[in-house]
Amino acid sequence: MLNVTIDGKKLTVPEGSTVMDAALAHQVDIPRLCHHPDLHPSGGCRLCLVEVEGRADPVPACGLVCADGMVVHTRSPLLADMLREIINLFVSDHPLDCVTCDKAGSCALQKYAYEFGVTTTSYETRISRSLYQDDNPFFVRDHKYCILCARCVRVCEEVVGANAIDLAGRGFEGHISTPFDGPMIDSKCVFCGSCVQVCPTAALMPVSRRGKGREWELQRVASICGYCGVGCTVEYALKDGHILYAQGRPDGAVNGEFLCTKGRYGWDFASHPERLTQPMIRRDLAYQMGLTDQPWQLPQESPLAVRKFKVEDSFVAVDWDTALDAAAAGLAAVVQGSGPDAVMSLTSARCTNEDNYLFQKFMRVAVGTNNIDHCARL
Amino acid sequence: MDTQQIELIAEHERARQDQFQRRITCCASTACLSAGAGKTLEAIKQAVAQCSCAEHEVEVVKTGCMGLCSKGPLVRVESKGEPTVLYGEVTPEVACHIVGQHVPSCECSAPAEDVALAVPEPEGSVLVASAQERLLARHLIPLDLPFFTRQHKVVLADMGTIDPERIEDYLAHGGYQSLVKVLNEMTPEQVCDEIYNSGLRGRGGAGFPTGLKWNLVRRENSERKFVIVNGDEGDPGAYMDRAVMEDDPHRVLEGMMICAYAVGASYGYLYIRGEYPNAIARIERAIKEARRRRLLGKSVLGTSFSFEADIRVGAGAFVCGEETALIHSIEGKRGAPRMRPPYPSTSGLWGAPTVINNVETMANIPSIIKHGAGWFAAIGDEKSKGTKVFALAGHLRNTGLIEVPMGITLREIVFDIGGGIAGEWNFKAVQTGGPSGGCIPIEHLDTPVDYENLRKLGSIMGSGGLVVIDDSTRMPEFARFFIDFCVDESCGKCLPCRVGTVQIRALLDKIIGGKGQPDDLDKLEKLCWTVKKTSLCGLGQSAPNPVLSTLAYFRHEYEAMMKEGTHA
Repeated sequence: MLNVTIDGKKLTVPEGSTVMDAALAHQVDIPRLCHHPDLHPSGGCRLCLVEVEGRADPVPACGLVCADGMVVHTRSPLLADMLREIINLFVSDHPLDCVTCDKAGSCALQKYAYEFGVTTTSYETRISRSLYQDDNPFFVRDHKYCILCARCVRVCEEVVGANAIDLAGRGFEGHISTPFDGPMIDSKCVFCGSCVQVCPTAALMPVSRRGKGREWELQRVASICGYCGVGCTVEYALKDGHILYAQGRPDGAVNGEFLCTKGRYGWDFASHPERLTQPMIRRDLAYQMGLTDQPWQLPQESPLAVRKFKVEDSFVAVDWDTALDAAAAGLAAVVQGSGPDAVMSLTSARCTNEDNYLFQKFMRVAVGTNNIDHCARL
Repeated sequence: MDTQQIELIAEHERARQDQFQRRITCCASTACLSAGAGKTLEAIKQAVAQCSCAEHEVEVVKTGCMGLCSKGPLVRVESKGEPTVLYGEVTPEVACHIVGQHVPSCECSAPAEDVALAVPEPEGSVLVASAQERLLARHLIPLDLPFFTRQHKVVLADMGTIDPERIEDYLAHGGYQSLVKVLNEMTPEQVCDEIYNSGLRGRGGAGFPTGLKWNLVRRENSERKFVIVNGDEGDPGAYMDRAVMEDDPHRVLEGMMICAYAVGASYGYLYIRGEYPNAIARIERAIKEARRRRLLGKSVLGTSFSFEADIRVGAGAFVCGEETALIHSIEGKRGAPRMRPPYPSTSGLWGAPTVINNVETMANIPSIIKHGAGWFAAIGDEKSKGTKVFALAGHLRNTGLIEVPMGITLREIVFDIGGGIAGEWNFKAVQTGGPSGGCIPIEHLDTPVDYENLRKLGSIMGSGGLVVIDDSTRMPEFARFFIDFCVDESCGKCLPCRVGTVQIRALLDKIIGGKGQPDDLDKLEKLCWTVKKTSLCGLGQSAPNPVLSTLAYFRHEYEAMMKEGTHA
């Protein structure tokens, strides 16, 4: 462990930690745009410059490894002046569309421009990038808002491993690009949206949220993704009861901030009118049980020829107890009539490990058969 | 090959050269080649072939740079028992006359009456000179010019003498003797200490002590280490490294191998700028020859030391001269710098400890080993030892490649070696260090040239570009040229360099266009300091130097431009 002093706070930090790690772990906020706790430091934004006693020039905290006895100052008139000038330069290459921008309220550049009181650039406004790419159904790439922090490039390389994008061009003409600026679908992109997650500005935005509401109006609901047994933490941003987008949360125990394409973009079933929200019993059985007075018969034609019918025509909504009783009675009848091996079971990868374990236990002990299989094996 | 074989080849080559009465050498370095040296060389060869001279009368050799590039193509005639003569601007016709003049049995010179017509005898002349002599007198370059006599050649010692495409010639001039000495008589630690004691500092510009760097890598406990020679010279107007690679490639290889032995590396890369096809070809040839002679490969000179070298060609990015960007480029990644530490000496190429030295630094090594650290440390001044090669360019009478001891004054370089300003204008400033350097005005001309002094003046030593400008140049426009270069060459990774340089250029354009506002100069200065202090790598940190130094020394020119604009 090393002893360092940051802004007068005496801290003990593990060897190898950077000044940024140390500061964030001890609630010292250092301005930062390209830094992300899950990515290797890049040192491109220069906002995390700090003063170290014994060094002539400010150094970026994200790449500075702590040394024992190091004394660091994150705030000083000189630093404030430098950072204001850096934000001034950032803003000279960024449209100040905050009044209509969807990202307003959660944009990191907006936050620092506000904190440092930079209302507009003192230089000429020169927007270096103008490309607008909406070539996929999930996210839009609006390059004029890009600040080239390269978080997206790093997350694609270091976390996802897809390497679909990189910086192309040089200097002021540099931009984030797929190979040869081709459509996203032709790249190695897996559409996990991790780049959208880490983008600090409006350069990468989910299609689903465009023009649907301001960030501060949204209700945020933490949940667990139901797509598989991993159990990723997911946060849904809602307005008026409808999901606008899903994202990871830094406190996600399993997945951190990162999700796969299903978890991040596959949530439109949630408010679909045909979504089943309660248990149902087939209408012919329900009629026998006296739960409905409308009889119904399974159509005789080939199932392949059956036209799509409304679920209410053939099913009746019941409560859980009724549904489970009906299922248990049906299962018991088969076991008693034809023996336990007349039953087979198939379970799903969308269930958790625990669910799957319990299910096989139920089949072996309660039903008494080894006829168990799983969709992942098919 | 072992040590004795080297000596044998050298002896044999020396004996072969000694047979000849005369040696006519023609520069075949890029500067002279672009002035037509290829045809000149052909003409000389043809003329000699047509002579009815004896077999060992004359040898024609293509060599490397002789220095005075503005007078290219250069041809030198060394004859036994006669003083050496140097000719400049040698066209194929002049070349015939040179052969005619110096090879008595030659019959190929143009008819005397043609020459007489072209060079009429001055009226009332009492000199009895043939028309051919009068013509050649015009091309004769006196070797006692201060341009030659004030130089001190260490790195360039063999350049212009040896044939860069023949390893035998290098061996005959004592080549690879330092490697022999190092492998047989010195431990790696001794080599590092020798280099450290010599006081050699990195010639790429930053001036880090080379011996210290080597020792850092030597002490790293790693199975894999690398040596990289940085030949990605990109400063406008600078071509020191190109000349060394083209004209004395084995010297660079030898330096590299000594370095590899000293730090414990067994593989090395020469990273050469793609715009230097000639240098690439000659280094490639040198590597092949060295490999053929078993100087490269397993068990060099019968010792346990093994070394392989390979070339990587740059793709035209200035920033790849920065060591971390260069490493990325060799690794096949985008050539962008990264934050240091870790420095390449602990984690460089593919994460292995790596020495990166500039071409000129490596070319100094064989001489230091040969003559000793004390000899080298005696050259130069207190903190900067040895010599420095400069590419003299700009409004000078003599431009070309020079090598001078550290601590020489700028005045000596400009007025003695450079011969002063050509034309009717006066000296205004000298720009050192290329786009990363600054402009130094006349009042600081007596400053001794070394790393610290140049930095104090707001410039840098840099890799050795030295551009002299006369007072026909407007300094804000001169500064704009370099900022424009940095805008083009910025990699775009960090904001101050990417956006800051563009805004500096925009402000300069405004001022040059006469539309400057009263507070624009302060704004420009502040912006320059921000870019200098906050950029990630050396490119951004030094990009504002041309503007800052001209603002410091020539602020009145900026102010005058602003006033012109408000009056107009």
